[in-house]
Amino acid sequence: MGALSTRERVLWYVGALLIVLYALVPVAWIVSLSFKSETDLANRSFLPTAFSGDNYREIFAGNGSDLFLPALRNSIITCLLATLIAVVLAMFAAYAIARLDFPGKRVVLTSALAVAVFPVITMVTPLFNLWRRIGLYDTIPGLIIPYLALTLPISIWTMSAFFRQIPWDMEQAAQVDGATSWQAFRKVIVPLAAPGVFTTAIIAFFIAWNDFVFGISLTSTSRAQPVPAALSSFTGSSYFVQPTGAISAAAVVVTIPVVLLALVFQRRIVAGLTNGAVKG
Amino acid sequence: MSATTTPQAAGVAQDPAGRKRAARRGTDRSRQEARLGWYLAGPAFVILVLVTGYPILQALYDSLWSYRLTAPDDREFVGLRNYGVILTDPLWWSSLGNTVLITVVTVAVELVIGFALAMVMHKVLGWLRPIVRTAILIPYAIITVVSAYAWQYAFDLTTGFMNSVVWWVGDDYDWFANKWTALLVICLSEIWKTTPFISLLLLAGLAQVPEDMHEAAKVDGATAWERLWRVTLPNMKASIMVALLFRALDAFRIFDNVYIMTGGAAGTEVVSSLAYNQTISRLEIGLGSAVSVMLFLCVLLICFIAIKGFRVDLARARGEG
Amino acid sequence: MASRWLTRTGVVSAGVLLASTLAACGDGSSGTGTTTLNWYINPDNGGQQAIAQSCSEQSGGAYRIEALILPSDAAQQREQLMRRLAGNDSSIDLMSLDPVFVPETAEAGFLAPMPAELQAELSEGVVQGAVQGATWNDELVAAPFWANTQLLWYRQSVAEAAGLDMSQPVTWDQVVDAAEQQGTAIGVQGQRGESMTVWVNAMVESAGGQIIENPEARGPDIRLGLDSDAGRAAAAVMQRITEAGVAGPGIDNRDEAGTANLFQQDGAAFMVNWPFVYAQAQGAAEGGSMDPAIFEDYGWAQFPRMTPDEPSAPPLGGIDIGVSAFSENPDLAYEAVRCIVSEDNQASYMISDGNPAAAESVYDRPEVQEAYPMYDVIRTSLQEAAPRPQTAYYNEVSQGIQDRWQPVSAVTEQTPALSAEFIGQVLSGERLL
Repeated sequence: MGALSTRERVLWYVGALLIVLYALVPVAWIVSLSFKSETDLANRSFLPTAFSGDNYREIFAGNGSDLFLPALRNSIITCLLATLIAVVLAMFAAYAIARLDFPGKRVVLTSALAVAVFPVITMVTPLFNLWRRIGLYDTIPGLIIPYLALTLPISIWTMSAFFRQIPWDMEQAAQVDGATSWQAFRKVIVPLAAPGVFTTAIIAFFIAWNDFVFGISLTSTSRAQPVPAALSSFTGSSYFVQPTGAISAAAVVVTIPVVLLALVFQRRIVAGLTNGAVKG
Repeated sequence: MSATTTPQAAGVAQDPAGRKRAARRGTDRSRQEARLGWYLAGPAFVILVLVTGYPILQALYDSLWSYRLTAPDDREFVGLRNYGVILTDPLWWSSLGNTVLITVVTVAVELVIGFALAMVMHKVLGWLRPIVRTAILIPYAIITVVSAYAWQYAFDLTTGFMNSVVWWVGDDYDWFANKWTALLVICLSEIWKTTPFISLLLLAGLAQVPEDMHEAAKVDGATAWERLWRVTLPNMKASIMVALLFRALDAFRIFDNVYIMTGGAAGTEVVSSLAYNQTISRLEIGLGSAVSVMLFLCVLLICFIAIKGFRVDLARARGEG
Repeated sequence: MASRWLTRTGVVSAGVLLASTLAACGDGSSGTGTTTLNWYINPDNGGQQAIAQSCSEQSGGAYRIEALILPSDAAQQREQLMRRLAGNDSSIDLMSLDPVFVPETAEAGFLAPMPAELQAELSEGVVQGAVQGATWNDELVAAPFWANTQLLWYRQSVAEAAGLDMSQPVTWDQVVDAAEQQGTAIGVQGQRGESMTVWVNAMVESAGGQIIENPEARGPDIRLGLDSDAGRAAAAVMQRITEAGVAGPGIDNRDEAGTANLFQQDGAAFMVNWPFVYAQAQGAAEGGSMDPAIFEDYGWAQFPRMTPDEPSAPPLGGIDIGVSAFSENPDLAYEAVRCIVSEDNQASYMISDGNPAAAESVYDRPEVQEAYPMYDVIRTSLQEAAPRPQTAYYNEVSQGIQDRWQPVSAVTEQTPALSAEFIGQVLSGERLL
C-alpha cells in the first residue's frame, strides 16, 4: 500500500496519536493519583501539586504492607503456577489437535469453547462449598484449580493455531538425515514451537492476573488472597477513611508487570491474539 | 470479565482430511493415534469438564432447595420455587435489563471504536507501528479492577477531575447517584478495557480483505466510504460476527466494574452481582444457585441465537470456510 | 482402553488433590511447643497487631497470637468469617466481630461458650450499650473490646450565628432549621451502605421505636417495627433534610469519611459522625490540608433528638472479640481474650487508633482525656446508645433498609411501610436482595 498520499499519511499519524492517548490517559491518571500526598488526593485535579512517595511507602513498608506484600506474593505464585500448568497441559492437547487424528477432537475443542464462555459466578458457590469440605478454601492450590478454567481454553486454542503452522515434515526430514527422533524433536520442533508456547503463556498469565471473582470468593486472608481482591481490604488513616492513595499505588504496582510484558513482547502478543484468523 | 477469549482455533476440528482419515478407523495405526490423542488431550479435557461440569450440576441441584449456609438445619426441598421467586421479582428483571443494556451499548461502541483502531493499526507502518501496538495492549493487559478504580476515582466527587472536564454538569454533580450516569461510567471503563481486544480480532479480519478487490473498486470510481461499505465490511463479516459474539458473552458476565464502582447501588445491579449477593453475601445458597443457573441459561441462549440465528460460523472466521 | 484412560486421569487428579491438601496443611504448625492462636481482625492502624504481639509476650510462651487481616467493610468481614465458620474451620481461634453480627454468629453455634465467671468479669465496668451488643439470649457471648458512638459535630461559630444553644440537647428539626438559615449543610451518611442502617436505626430508636420487635425470632416470623410512628418520624427527618436543601453535595454516595471531609472543607457546619473525625481533623490541621481555624471551631454534642423531651438513642458500633466454637484451644483463646481487652490495651488502642474504649474507667485516664476533649460526651453517648437490631438475619434486614431508604431524596412517608413489607418478603425467601 505504498500509494498513501501525504494527507492520508498525516491522518493515520493523528489516528495513531489518538490511540496512544486513549490507552495512556487512564493509566497516567492512576499513576498521578498514586503520587499524590494525602492533602492532594482531594484536590480534584489531574496532577498532584507535589510528588510524594507516601503511598508507596505505605504499601511496601507501612501499615498496608502486611496486606499488600503477601497478596503480591500470592498473586505471583498463583498466576505463575496456573500459567505453567495450563500451558503444559494445553501443549499436549494442542499437539494432539494439530497433529493427530482422533475421535473426540471436536469434543475437546467445543468443551474448551464452552468453558471459555461459562459464567464464572456460577462456578464460585459450588467450588466454595467443595473447597471448604476438602480444605482447599483460602489456599493457593484452591485458586490455581479454578484459574485453569480461565487459562486452559485460551491456551489450547492459541497453541493449536500456532502448532498447525509448524511444518512438521521437517521432523521426518531430519530423521531421514540421520537424527534420532528425540534429536529431531529437540533440534527442529522445539525451536519452531517455542515462540507459540511462550506467547500463549503470556496471554494466559494476563488472564490469571486479571481474576477478581475467584480471588474474593475462594480466599479470605493474606494466606492466599491475590492483589485484586486485597485492594478492597486496604484502610486509610482510620477505620472509615477511603484508602484512595494506597489503592492507587498498589494498582500501579500490579500494572507494572503486565505493561512490561506488553512493551517487550507486543509483536508476539498481537500475533498470538490474531494468529489463527490472520493466516487465512 | 475474567476470561477474555479469542476464537481463532475454534474451527480446527472441521478438518476435511480428518473425516477422510476417520473412514480408515479400525486399522492399528489409527487406533494407536486415537489412544495417543486422548492421552495427550485427556488431562486438559478432564480438568475443563470437572471445573465447570461439577459446579453447574451442583448449582442445579442446590437451586431446588431452600438452603441458608448459617442455618443448615432448616434446609428444605422446594422444587422450582426459587425460580418462581426470581422470575416474579422486579429486581431480577431490572438486573437483566441493565446487563442487556450494558452488553448492547458496550459491544456496539466497541465495534465502532475497535474498527477505527484496527484501521489505524492496519495502515500505520514503520516506527509508529510497535508504539501503537504496545499502547493498544496496555488496556487489554490491565486488571479490570484497576481500570474500575481508575474510572471511579476520575468521576468521584472527592478525588475526581471529570466534573471540571465535563464542566456543564456542575462541580457537585454526583455521577454515581443517578442510575444512567452510573451505568455510563461503568460502560466507559468496560469499553476502555476491552476495545483493544475487539480491535485485534478485527485487525485479523482486515488482513483477510483482498487488496485487489480494493484496487478494482477504486478503478471503478468508488469513494473511500463506498469501498468501506461495499468491499471491506462484507469481507470481514465473519470476523465481525465472531468478535461480536465473544464480546457479547463476555460483557453479559460483567461483574468487576459494577462491584467496585457502585456495588449495585442506584439501581445498577447486574445479573452476576445479583447472583453474588445471594450466595456470597446472604449465604442463601439455594436462591443464589438458581440465579447462577439462570445466568448460565442466558449465556446458552445468546450462543444459540448467535449460532442458529446469525449463523456465526466459527470455522469461517479462521478463513477456512 | 477406556478404563485405562480413566485410571490414569483418576491418578492424576488424586495427585493434584493430595498435593493441594498437603499444601493447605503446611502452614499453621509452629513446632516450638507454643500454641499459635489465629486472630482474624478488622483492618485498623496496626493497633490490634501490636496488642497481639504484646499479649503473646505476656503469655510467657503459652501462646502466640497471629493476627490475620479481614476486608475493611463490615459486611465483607462477616462474609469471610461466616464462610469459614460454616465449614467448621478450626484455623480461627479469635475474631474481631462487629456487634451487629454477634447474634447471627452465636445463633449458628459458631461461638465457644464463655465461662460464667468470665462473663461477669468482662462485662463489669463496661458501658451499657457495649454489653448489650455482645449479649445473645441473656448470655455474654463475646468480649466488648471497643465501643463506638456517633456524636453531633458542629461549627461553634455557625451554631452561635443561628442562635442555637448547644449547651442544651438539640433536635433534628432545630439542626435542619439552623443549617437552612445559615445556608450550610448537615453531614449525614446517605450512601447505600451500613451507615444508612446506622442512621435509620438511631432515629427510629430515638423516636421510641424498634426496627425489629421480636429479634429472637427465626427469619419468616420476624415482626418489623418500621411501619410505625417512629418509622414515619425518621422518614420525616429525611424528607425535611431534602426539602430544606441541607443534604449537601454528593449525599447519595457519602460515607463517614466523605462526611468528615465535607465538614473539614467547610462544606457542612453540622454532621453526625464517629469520634475518629476529631483526631483526623487534628492531623489535617497540623498537616496543612485544612484550615486550622476550622479545627478550632469544632464543637460536639449528643446525637440529635427526635422530640424535644425524649433523650436520643445514639448509634452504637465497635468491635467484640469472639472465640470460635471450632477452635482447638478455647481455654487458651479465652486467656488471650482477657489480655486483649484489658483496660491498658483499650486505652492505648483508643489513642493509637482513635476507637473509643468499652470500659468506662478508661475515660478517667489523663492521656485519654487529653487526646479526646469530648471524652465525657462519648461516655454518656455510649451509655445511652442503642444497638442495631440484634437478629441472626441482620444482613437481610440491614440491606433491605439500605435498599429502600436510599437515596435520601426519594424517601417519603410510605418508605417505612414499603421497606417493612420488602424486608418481610426477603426474610420469607420470596424476594431477591
